[in-house]
Amino acid sequence: MARSEFDVSQEVECIRRVQKGDGEAFGLLVAKYQQRILSIVFHLVRRRDEVEDLAQEVFFKAFRAIRSYNFQSSFATWLSRIAVNHCYDYLRKVRASRVSYYSEMTEESAHELERKAENPPPQGWDHAERLALRDFVARLLDRAPEDDRLILSLKELEDYSVEEIADLLKLKTSTVKVRLHRARKRMLEDLERWRQEGK
Amino acid sequence: MDCKEIRDLVAERWGEELPAEVREHLSKCAGCEVFWRNARFLQAGFRAWAAETPPEASFGFAARLVRRLQVWETTGARSEFFETVGRRFVYATLALTLALLLSLALPTSGPVRGVAGADFLGLQSHSQASQPDVVGGDSGDTHDLIPGGPTE
Repeated sequence: MARSEFDVSQEVECIRRVQKGDGEAFGLLVAKYQQRILSIVFHLVRRRDEVEDLAQEVFFKAFRAIRSYNFQSSFATWLSRIAVNHCYDYLRKVRASRVSYYSEMTEESAHELERKAENPPPQGWDHAERLALRDFVARLLDRAPEDDRLILSLKELEDYSVEEIADLLKLKTSTVKVRLHRARKRMLEDLERWRQEGK
Repeated sequence: MDCKEIRDLVAERWGEELPAEVREHLSKCAGCEVFWRNARFLQAGFRAWAAETPPEASFGFAARLVRRLQVWETTGARSEFFETVGRRFVYATLALTLALLLSLALPTSGPVRGVAGADFLGLQSHSQASQPDVVGGDSGDTHDLIPGGPTE
């Protein structure tokens, strides 16, 4: 593919060409946004082996829908919205069990991890600890309502700002703030419940 | 500040420094302290997860996609079109058949299709003529209402 970076006017020109059916021009857009889409899919779906296939489906959907793109939001936002919705649909269909590192840990090492999380080691986490922490949060997120999961993933994992999330999900900024706050609180309450269940 | 307000603040100031008032409450309230510790734990988990780098697109990702799109445009798009048209045709045929069956199944008489209003009045007056009204006797007035109705 040709260079993956081009300025806004070139991007607009490229989109117009794709809207007229130029598949090659779409290749330029794919090259530019592939990493962004892979990142969204990876953090929302968490299945490394399926990330690329899902990203292809996202771009495929985008190509089929590109005539409806009216330049009101940025192309990046429009494309990310398709990716988020696609992952959302996928997750609703496939709720397969995942390998759990946290559940494989002994109670003692789980407590050790929790203690460490309160005062993170200055040298950082080792690989196993990182996997266990990540898996713990992933399992909690799995228990969360769909909307909470989506908004928390975008904020905490993709590092989107509140304004970007609002743009992406077509919500008001104030609504995103409220939802984010509630989602965090619900997750914390669920964590407390989960620990009580385990005791 | 009560416990609810403290917990709201912990969730709101996610990962940020908490005000002295809140810290003081946490040092006294075991329940809120656990809540705050859990928040720190989750933040650490999210950070660990976010730090994981997503996989790079494999070599030729965009090129493969463009090829797939070209194949779809030549074959898939057309078959999709016919599939959509075909589906619509089937739905239309089913709807038409259903309407036809309903029209055959429904009775041909009834309040709508039965005797027209004027005829009905005519019939009524006819029967009333044969059975005199208890109060007013013959209700011959109704005949005047029926243009072309039965006359006696």
